[in-house]
Amino acid sequence: MKNILRYVIVRAALTLPMLFILLSVVFVVIRVMPGDPVSSMLGGHAPESVIEKKKEELGLNRPMIFQYVDYLWQICRLDLGESMILKQRVIDAIKLKIPATIELTFFGMLVTVLVGVSLGAYAADKRRSPQDYAIRIYGIVIYCIPVFWLGLMFQMIFGIWLDWMPIAGRTGARVFASTFEKTGFYVIDTILIRDFAALKDVLIHLVLPSVTLGLMLSGVFVRLTRANMLDVLKSDYILAAEARGIRHRRVVYKHAIMNAFVPILTMMGLQVALLMAGAVLTESTFSWPGMGRLLLERIYMRDYPTIQGVIVFFALIVALVSLVVDIVYALVDPRVRY
Amino acid sequence: MKHSPSRKMAVLFARFAVMGKKYGVEWWILVVGAAIITGVVLMAVFSTAIAPFDPYDQNAGPQLSPPSRTHLMGTDNLQRDVFSRIVYGSRTILGVAVLAAILSSVVGITFGLISGFAGGFFDKILSLVMDSIYSFPGLILAIAFAAMLEPGILSITVAVAVIYIPTYFRLVRGQTLQIKEELYVEAARAIGASGRRILWQYIFPNVIATTVVVFTMNVGDAIMIEAALTYLGLGLPPSIVDWGMDLSMGRRFLPSGVWWLITFPGAMISILAIGFTMLGEGLAEILNPRLLEK
Amino acid sequence: MKKRWGIMALVIAAVMTASGACLAGGGPLVYGTTEKVIDMDPANAYDFHTWEIFYNIYQGLMGYPPGKTNLVPHLAESYTVSADGKTYTFKLRQGLTFSDGTPFDAHAVKWSIDRVMNLKGDPSWLVTDFVERVDVVDSATVNFVLQNPVAYFPSLVATVPYYPVNPNVYPADKIVRDPSELKGGKIVGLGPYEVASFKRDEEIILKPNPDYFGPAPKNEMVVIRYFADATTMRLALEKGELDFAFKSFNPSDIKDLEQSSKVKTIKGQGPYIRYICFQCKIEPFKDWELRQAVAASVDRKEIIRKVFLGQNAPLYSMVPMGMFAHTDNFKTVYGDGNLDFARRVLKAKGYSEDNKLKFEFWYTPSHYGDTEVDMAAVLKQQFERTGLIDVTVKSAEWATYRDNWANQLMPAFLLGWYPDYIDPDNYTSAFAGTAGSAGLGIHFSDPKWDAKFVEEQTVTDLDQRREIFETIQKWWAMDVPTCPIFQGTLYLFTQNNIEGVMISPTLQFNYRTIQRVQ
Repeated sequence: MKNILRYVIVRAALTLPMLFILLSVVFVVIRVMPGDPVSSMLGGHAPESVIEKKKEELGLNRPMIFQYVDYLWQICRLDLGESMILKQRVIDAIKLKIPATIELTFFGMLVTVLVGVSLGAYAADKRRSPQDYAIRIYGIVIYCIPVFWLGLMFQMIFGIWLDWMPIAGRTGARVFASTFEKTGFYVIDTILIRDFAALKDVLIHLVLPSVTLGLMLSGVFVRLTRANMLDVLKSDYILAAEARGIRHRRVVYKHAIMNAFVPILTMMGLQVALLMAGAVLTESTFSWPGMGRLLLERIYMRDYPTIQGVIVFFALIVALVSLVVDIVYALVDPRVRY
Repeated sequence: MKHSPSRKMAVLFARFAVMGKKYGVEWWILVVGAAIITGVVLMAVFSTAIAPFDPYDQNAGPQLSPPSRTHLMGTDNLQRDVFSRIVYGSRTILGVAVLAAILSSVVGITFGLISGFAGGFFDKILSLVMDSIYSFPGLILAIAFAAMLEPGILSITVAVAVIYIPTYFRLVRGQTLQIKEELYVEAARAIGASGRRILWQYIFPNVIATTVVVFTMNVGDAIMIEAALTYLGLGLPPSIVDWGMDLSMGRRFLPSGVWWLITFPGAMISILAIGFTMLGEGLAEILNPRLLEK
Repeated sequence: MKKRWGIMALVIAAVMTASGACLAGGGPLVYGTTEKVIDMDPANAYDFHTWEIFYNIYQGLMGYPPGKTNLVPHLAESYTVSADGKTYTFKLRQGLTFSDGTPFDAHAVKWSIDRVMNLKGDPSWLVTDFVERVDVVDSATVNFVLQNPVAYFPSLVATVPYYPVNPNVYPADKIVRDPSELKGGKIVGLGPYEVASFKRDEEIILKPNPDYFGPAPKNEMVVIRYFADATTMRLALEKGELDFAFKSFNPSDIKDLEQSSKVKTIKGQGPYIRYICFQCKIEPFKDWELRQAVAASVDRKEIIRKVFLGQNAPLYSMVPMGMFAHTDNFKTVYGDGNLDFARRVLKAKGYSEDNKLKFEFWYTPSHYGDTEVDMAAVLKQQFERTGLIDVTVKSAEWATYRDNWANQLMPAFLLGWYPDYIDPDNYTSAFAGTAGSAGLGIHFSDPKWDAKFVEEQTVTDLDQRREIFETIQKWWAMDVPTCPIFQGTLYLFTQNNIEGVMISPTLQFNYRTIQRVQ
C-alpha cells in the first residue's frame, strides 16, 4: 500500500513541471508569436498609436516576465481571464459549454469502445483470415477519412436523403433547452424532469455526432485491441481455459477481453487528446454548442483572451487525464513503481 | 521479342508477386499506397496539363452543374470547374504536408540526436518540453498557431509542422540513447573519434531507417491536419485552391441536391491520406517485422 | 420480460402523444435566424436583428403600426412643433409603468437620451447629430431641442436609440451586453413582449408583457432559435421544426423554398442595399479618380447572377429604387463592367501591367450571410479584368470589422444598409456627411456636400428637396465615396398555417400579430 501511495504522490508532483511547461508553451504561442495578436486582431496594418493603446488596455505593455508571472498566478487561482469582446469571464463561458462536449465525447467514446473492441477482438480471434485483413484495412481507412467529411456524408445520407435524423444542434427547434436545463447534461436533465419526449429528442440529436466521432477513433482501438488480444490469447491461462473445455467463444469474449481491458482503459485515457481534437471538428460540423465550437467562434472573433483561456483549459485537462491514467495503470500493474 | 513492353510488364508483375508471396498482404498494402501517392503526385506536378480549365476561371461552365463529359466533377456556384480545382488543389495539400513533414523531421531529428547524445540537464528539460507538446491534442495546437499567424502557405506549414517535432525527437533520442551504449560506439570513442563524427557516422545511419516510416505516416497525418485547418477556415486565404476549403464552401448547396461539391474534395483527402498511411504501414511491417509481429 | 417491455412502450407512447398534443393549435411560435445578438442595449445596438428584438420588447415615442407606412405617436400621445422648427414637444401617455414599478415619465425619456449621448455608441449619431438637448417640462411632457430644424425628425424618434429605458435597471455609464448585467438580471421594457430567458447564440424566449398598453399578442410565446448556418435553418424549416425563419438564407435555399409548396414566401419590400466603401483618407483611394476606376469595373449583373442566382436588383445610386428622388447616376456615367473607362483612368495615372494598382479588399464572412466570400471573389475577378489591378481579398468577423473601419485599416470594403428611417437622407448623409462618413470608416469630407445635406434636412418643400438629392447623386457618381452594387429583397418563409406576418417599410417586424391558424 505504501508503495502505491508513494507512486501517486511522486507522479502527481511530476505533473507540475509538465503542466508548467505546457502552460509556458501556450503563453509563448499566444503572446510571443510573430504576428503580434493585437495587431492581427486589429486587422494587420493598424497605426502604431492604435496598437499601443490597445496593448495598454490589455496590460500587454509591461515587461514579458511580469506578464508571464501574472499569467501563471492567475491560472493557479483558476482565473482564466476575461473575454475582451463579450465581457464574460472565460471560466464562465467554459462552464456553459463544457457539458455539451462531455456528453458528446462520452457517447462518442462509447461508440469507439463498442465498435473498436468488438472488431479488434474478432480480428484477433480470426487471425490472418480475410476477416482479419478486412478489419485491419477498416482500421486504416476509417482513420484517414476526415471526421468532418464523414459527418457531412452522414448528414447528407441520414439527414437529408433518408430524413431519419436531425443534422445539427443538441435539441430540435421546438424543444427549448431553457425549460429543462439544469446540469447542462441534457440526457440527465430531461430524465430528471421526466420529459421523455425531450429525452427522445436529445438522444436522437446525439446519434449522428457521437457515431461520427466514435467511428473516427475506432480505427485506433481496433488495432490496439487486436494487438493486446493477440498477446493475451497466446498466454498460458487462456490455454488452460481451453484445455478445461470452456467454449472457445466464451474464452475469447469473456476471459481474453477482460484481461485485455486494462490496457484498453489506459488507452482510452491516452486517446483523450485525439478525442478532444475530433470533438472540435465534430462540433463544427454538427453545430454542437460545446467547447470546440467556443474555441472556433472566439478565434473567428479574434477574442484572444478567451482563446488563450480555452487552450489553457485543454492543457489542464490533458495533464489531469494523463495523471489519472498513470495512477490507474499503477494500481493495476504491480510492476510500475517509483 | 525478348524485351517487348508487354514482356517487361509481365516480368515486373512477376517480381511483385514474388515479393507479395514473401511478405504477404503487407506488400500489397505498400504497393497500393505507393500507387495512390504516385498518382496524386503526378496530378500535382502535371496540373497544367491535366486540368482542362483554369481553377480560378469563373466562366468555365454553367453554374452548379452536375458531373458531365466536359466537367468530370461538375461546376460550382461561381461557374468554376471542380475537376480542375481538385487537380490544382493537390499541389496545395501535398506541398504543405510534405514541407511540414520535412520541417518537423529536420528539427525533431536534430534535437533528438543532440539531446540523446549530450544527455544531462539539457536533455531532461528538452524531453519534458517535447513530452508536454506530444501529449497535447495536435489539432488544437495547430489551430492555435494557425489562428495567431496571418493566413498563408508558410503559416499553415509551420502550424502543422510543430505538432510532429516531438514524435521525431522521441524516436531519435530513444535510438540515440540505445546506440550510444553499443560496443562499436565505445570502440570508436576509444580510438578517439570526436562526438560529431560518432553522431554522423554511427548513430545517424541507424536512426534513418525508422524515421523513414515515421516520415511517411507523418505526411499522412499532416494531410489530415491541413484539411481540417482549411475546412475550419484557418491557415489559408480563400484565394488559394484547396480541397478542405472547397469542402466547407460547397456544404451550403447540399440541401439543393448538389452533392458533387463535397463528395470529390472529401474523397480525395481520404484517398491521399489512405495512400500515405498504407505506404507507412506496409514499410513498417516489411522493414521491422519484429515490431509488429502479429 | 416481453410483457414488461410492451407496457413500458405503451406508457412512453402515451406520454409522448400527450406532450405532442400540447404543441398543436396554440403553443409557442418558433422563429429561426442565423443572426447574432451583440449588445442588448439600445444605446449601442446597431444591427438589424437586435433592433428587431427591441421593436418587440421596447417602444418609442413614435412608431409604425404593424405593416403600415404611416408614422403614429406611440408612447407619446401627441406632439407639437415650435414655429422655428427646432423644438418638438411630446405629450407622453400617462399611467404606464415598467414591470418593476418604475413609472414611465419625462424623466425616464430624458435620462435615456442623455445616456445615449454620453455613451457615444454606434447609433448615437442618430441622436447627437440632430438633438441638442432634452428638457423635462413636467412628468408627462418633454421637449426635444434640435440643433437645426429637421423635416423628418419624427421618424428619427421612431428609431431604437430614442427608446426610453428604465433608469433603475440600466447603468448610466456603460453599455450592457447581456441582460444578466442589468440590475435584477432581466430586461424590463414597455413593449408587447418581455424576455423570459436569454441564452446567447442559442435561444431567446419572449413572453407577452402583461404591462403592455397596446393590444395583446396573438401568440402565447415566441422563441427565437439561433442557427450557426443557413443550411441547417433551411432544413429545420422544411421539416416543420420552425414556424417561420428570416435572415439569412442562401440564394440556393431561397430558390428552392420559393418553389416549395410546403412553405409560404413573404418578401420584405423595404430598401436594403449593398455597396463598396472606400477609405477616402488613405492611399490609394485618397484619389477620387482611382475610386472612379474601381467603380467603373464593377459588373453588377454578373454579381447578381453568379452569387445571388438573380434574386436581387442592380442599384445605380445610393438612394434606393422606389424611394423619393432616386436617379440612376452610376448607370449613366459608368454602366456595368466598363473596363475601357477603368483602364483609361489607370493608365493615365501611371499604372501598367508591371505596375498594378494594389489594394486590399475586405468583406465580413457571416454578418450579411454566407454569400460574402463569393461576392468578394467575383468582385476581385472583375477588378482584375482590367489587367491593371491586383487585389488581395481579406476578411474579418463583424466585431473586428467594425473596429477595423474605426481604425481606418480597410482601403475598400463591402457594407450593407437597412433603413433607419424612410428618407433619402438616411442613405446619403450617413455615408458622405463629414460626421457620418467618419463613423463608417469612409472619412469622406467635402464642405460643399455638407452644406447640401444641411439644406435638404431643413428645407420642407418636396420639389426643392428632390432637386438637392438629384444634385447629391450626380456628385456621388463623380466623387464616389461609395459605389452601390445592388438592392436586395429580404425573404421570410413561414409554414403554411402561419398568418399575420407583416414587415414594415423600415423592415421592422412585429411578432405580436403572428399566429398559427388551424
